[in-house]
Amino acid sequence: MTPPPNVLRASPFAEDQLQLIERLLREASPEQVQWLSGYLAGFQAASRAKEPAASAAVAARPRVPLTILYASESGNGEALARAARKEAQRSGFAPTLLDMADTAPERLPPGDLVVIASTWGEGDPPQRAEPFMAALLAPGAPRQEGRRFAVLALGDRAYANFCATGRMLDSRLAELGAERIAPLEECDLDYAAAARAWTTATLAAFAPRESATEAAVIRVDFSRAAAEPDESPPRFEAELTERQLLSSSRSSSEVWHLELTHETRDLAWEPGDSVAFAPRNDPALVSAVLEAAGLVGEDPLRPALADRYDITTLTAPQLSAYAALTATPPLPPSFLEGRQLIDLLEAAPARLTPGELTGLLRPLPPRLYSVASAPEAGAIHLLVSAVRWQSHGHARNGVASVDLVARRNAGERLLFTLRPNPHFRLPADPGCPIIMIGPGTGLAPFRAFLQRREAAGAGGKNWLFFGARNFTHDFLYQLEIQDWLSSGVLTRASLAFSRDQPEKIYVQHRMWEAREELWRWLEDGAVLYVCGDAKAMARDVHATLLSIISDATRCDAEGAAVWLRSAIADGRYKRDVY
Amino acid sequence: MPPLSRNETIKGESRFLRGTISRGLENVVTGALAEDDTQLTKFHGIYQQDDRDLRPERARKRMEKAYIFMARLRVPGGALTPRQWLAMTDLARTRANGTLRLTTRQTIQLHGIIKSNLRPTIQGIHAVLLDTMAACGDDNRNVIATPFPTSPVHAEVLATARAISAHLRPRSHAWHEIFIDGTPLTPPEQEEEPILGRTYLPRKFKIAIAIPPLNDVDVFAHELGLIAIAGEGRIAAYNVVVGGGMGMTHGEPDTFPRTGDLIGSITPGQVLALAEQVVTVQRDWGDRSDRKHARLKYTIERYGLDPFKAELERRLGFSLAPARPYHFTRSGDPTGWLVGQDGNAHYCLFVENGRISDRPGRALLSGLAEIASFHEGRFFITPNQNLLIADVSPSQRPRLEATLSAHGFDHGPSVLRRNAMACVALPTCGLALAESERYLPTLLDALEEIAASAGLAKDEITIRMTGCPNGCARPYLAEIGLVGVRPGIYNLYLGGAFDGTRLSKLYRRELSHDGILGALRPLFATYSADRRPGERFSDFVIRTFVVRPTTAGNRFHEDLSPDLAAA
Repeated sequence: MTPPPNVLRASPFAEDQLQLIERLLREASPEQVQWLSGYLAGFQAASRAKEPAASAAVAARPRVPLTILYASESGNGEALARAARKEAQRSGFAPTLLDMADTAPERLPPGDLVVIASTWGEGDPPQRAEPFMAALLAPGAPRQEGRRFAVLALGDRAYANFCATGRMLDSRLAELGAERIAPLEECDLDYAAAARAWTTATLAAFAPRESATEAAVIRVDFSRAAAEPDESPPRFEAELTERQLLSSSRSSSEVWHLELTHETRDLAWEPGDSVAFAPRNDPALVSAVLEAAGLVGEDPLRPALADRYDITTLTAPQLSAYAALTATPPLPPSFLEGRQLIDLLEAAPARLTPGELTGLLRPLPPRLYSVASAPEAGAIHLLVSAVRWQSHGHARNGVASVDLVARRNAGERLLFTLRPNPHFRLPADPGCPIIMIGPGTGLAPFRAFLQRREAAGAGGKNWLFFGARNFTHDFLYQLEIQDWLSSGVLTRASLAFSRDQPEKIYVQHRMWEAREELWRWLEDGAVLYVCGDAKAMARDVHATLLSIISDATRCDAEGAAVWLRSAIADGRYKRDVY
Repeated sequence: MPPLSRNETIKGESRFLRGTISRGLENVVTGALAEDDTQLTKFHGIYQQDDRDLRPERARKRMEKAYIFMARLRVPGGALTPRQWLAMTDLARTRANGTLRLTTRQTIQLHGIIKSNLRPTIQGIHAVLLDTMAACGDDNRNVIATPFPTSPVHAEVLATARAISAHLRPRSHAWHEIFIDGTPLTPPEQEEEPILGRTYLPRKFKIAIAIPPLNDVDVFAHELGLIAIAGEGRIAAYNVVVGGGMGMTHGEPDTFPRTGDLIGSITPGQVLALAEQVVTVQRDWGDRSDRKHARLKYTIERYGLDPFKAELERRLGFSLAPARPYHFTRSGDPTGWLVGQDGNAHYCLFVENGRISDRPGRALLSGLAEIASFHEGRFFITPNQNLLIADVSPSQRPRLEATLSAHGFDHGPSVLRRNAMACVALPTCGLALAESERYLPTLLDALEEIAASAGLAKDEITIRMTGCPNGCARPYLAEIGLVGVRPGIYNLYLGGAFDGTRLSKLYRRELSHDGILGALRPLFATYSADRRPGERFSDFVIRTFVVRPTTAGNRFHEDLSPDLAAA
């Protein structure tokens, strides 16, 4: 473990103490760090019990206003922001939690600002934060003089523009005159410990210095934090009761319908919510990695490699770390293209110790799936596209998708976390018309929407756009969609199958064909939802929407963009894309 | 009077074949049309089918059946230009399943067209001056004719086939309206069907023209057969054969294949009038309550041949002349190079079961497309599902041969294989009870061995297989006929004449692959040992009492061997 240097530098420890801590943390395994944090929490709780005066002192201090602003895509950023708010409250602040999606630069409260921002895809801000980011980067953005700030950036080193959003925020706030109170902290997928430490140190830095002796001593009650389950989303066990390949045996893709039953009481999900699945790596790949690292026979390492470490993704820092570790010349960044960890181990063979191997690895992140059923259906349904491809002579498999569809058995109990998606919910008004654009597995949440609207007897009109490659082989839930149309639950279905004819037809083409009707729906107050592929589909759908708006209102591109931005602000254009 | 069959009501209420087909084409969530409309699309040359290989998995996948459509061209006499051939190849690749299926009615079937591709397919056909009108349905189907230009009267026969087809074609504009233009050309109320009538014919109606000595069209297997009698480079007369037909139903002895009756002859100038009046008698006399007894052969059985002929002559206003002598030698195609009197050569390409596709090592579809790109003559689809590349000038011949061999064309199929054909059957045909096109090649592998070890490697024996008893490959006119009963099981018929003039007879019921081989092995051996000079296999099995000859269609189920009759 490498301790986050920025945080340590901002800590109240002396240089020699810092060196001790650094050395200890560098050599410690994740388990050891975890143990240590628990130990310290207990140690602190015990000492606080003997010193009630210290807590009282904190409580007595006047509460300091603090804005915690977050930009979150999958919910990680939001969870960290909520944790930071809790901690800030305990530390004597009066924190305000703000989602970037719900505010604008000119509406930010004055005063100290903590920013927690995720980067998404190839370096974009989370979609809902796009308008805020655009406004902040615009030439006329409000000046930020007199404000102190600190930014925590979340990212993924597997992508080139690592932590781009956080970096952009950090430099722009400074450019606009705000005072950077702590250096930018950049976190990879294994962000948990670093983010916690950063939060503590940052809050300490923001804390008012009343006297030299009490400088920045902020009491953080880890034991209480750990005891509060409401901060982490509900985890639950579910039994895999049904698994059916939905796409035809002749399909060029492989999409499965999974049913999960659970006995967790009060597991309330709403249509639009997701679940996070903790996958297990392919045992064959675990063996291959062990063999390539010269660790055959290290069976105690297997469970950790299977369940806890990401053994597929390969990042630039891993290339250099591996080169340093093995004293081999580093492979060029171009090596990363289409390659995985196993390729590195095979390309530059070396014998590693178990600790050296795990030291190279990042934690295995959970994978998110939109729930494809409403609670009224009685079970959690998932629509899982099995990802399989070839690169550099290896057959590769999606870690979670292939685990779910091929390696788990019916009856097996799997571990999930519910990920509420409050920004992607049905309108409160059951009479409100909705337009759902969900090609491929993007159909999942809309099936839940339709189940809910059917069960509730909601009177609002529903229009579904679905697409895939071939009508005959990829029309997911075809019979259900036919039934919904004949019963009137679905008002209209527009379908686009790209490979059925010489010209490629996608959902955005169907939107354009139906633009007059689509515009009438929007004018009637319809909420438009988009779910599915972000890179091509959501981008093209967005561009087509702009064209439709321009066409209908006879305005230019900027006018259409304004219209759409206000639709986003009004919650009438919602996206859940990945 | 028994009630009309359901199809009669559908036709009657269809507003001249429109029904709700257009609306059905626009319903995007289903690959199917409304059930009644699937009867009407047949009149437009389109069959709704489904991929039967996929049936078992579809419900589990929450999907409807894998609906697909088959579109069949109307190509009188089987003649296509190279440009038309290329257009069909392109449609096969972009809108269908990547194959062309040549059929025994000298046409092309495009298979596996999904609903959203139907209009573009038909429009692509229309763009090269072809159509699919009346290629299926209760109407006059594609008119077939011996396609070999080596005959001096071929051009005249081809023109006749086209004239008949045009004369009997439905007059409704529904085909154009539904598939091409989208809007009504004329109000349906103002349309008329002066020949076919507003409920069209009781059942399908087939016409074939044979140029002796070839009986490749199986002239006795159609509602109306015309045998061209040549004289001095022109056609002197046509012999008239009526009441042939293949279809029957297993276990229903009042259904049977029937060879047509020769009732006289006419002059070439009387052909259209004759064809029209045979149609109108059948239109008015045919059974419209039971579709299994609706074809002309049953009408003639029910009324008697003489009353039928008398009514026909009454409507014609003249009597038929006596039949002229004719002589048939074979029903199979001569394959390979044929040279005409004008010096142009024609290559008759053997196409196994009529299926033109690209397979590893044998790129028939691509090869023929390449030939079509430089070929200056015509293509003819033969009634034996082969392809005649006609009018090849001497200078083009080497290029054509090089293209053929570059694409792995099979120049040397066994004699047995060249004389064999199968219908489409599984997975697309809704009627199939057993495999046919996908199985016959495998069976032939084994039969070739048996024939070779019996010393029959060079002997021509016709073998035809169908997946059901309806008889699309005309199995009851083959020397060896195999008709599917259920998956993997076939009835074996023997004794159909080599020249297509005599029906076969049931020899063994419900044989498996091994059963078929077991039944034929001893017969091949004795035929090889005991035949008379020049004696055909079918004639041999009748002479040696293996089966009794079928002298008329209504005797098809009679004279079975005692063990079969008891079963």
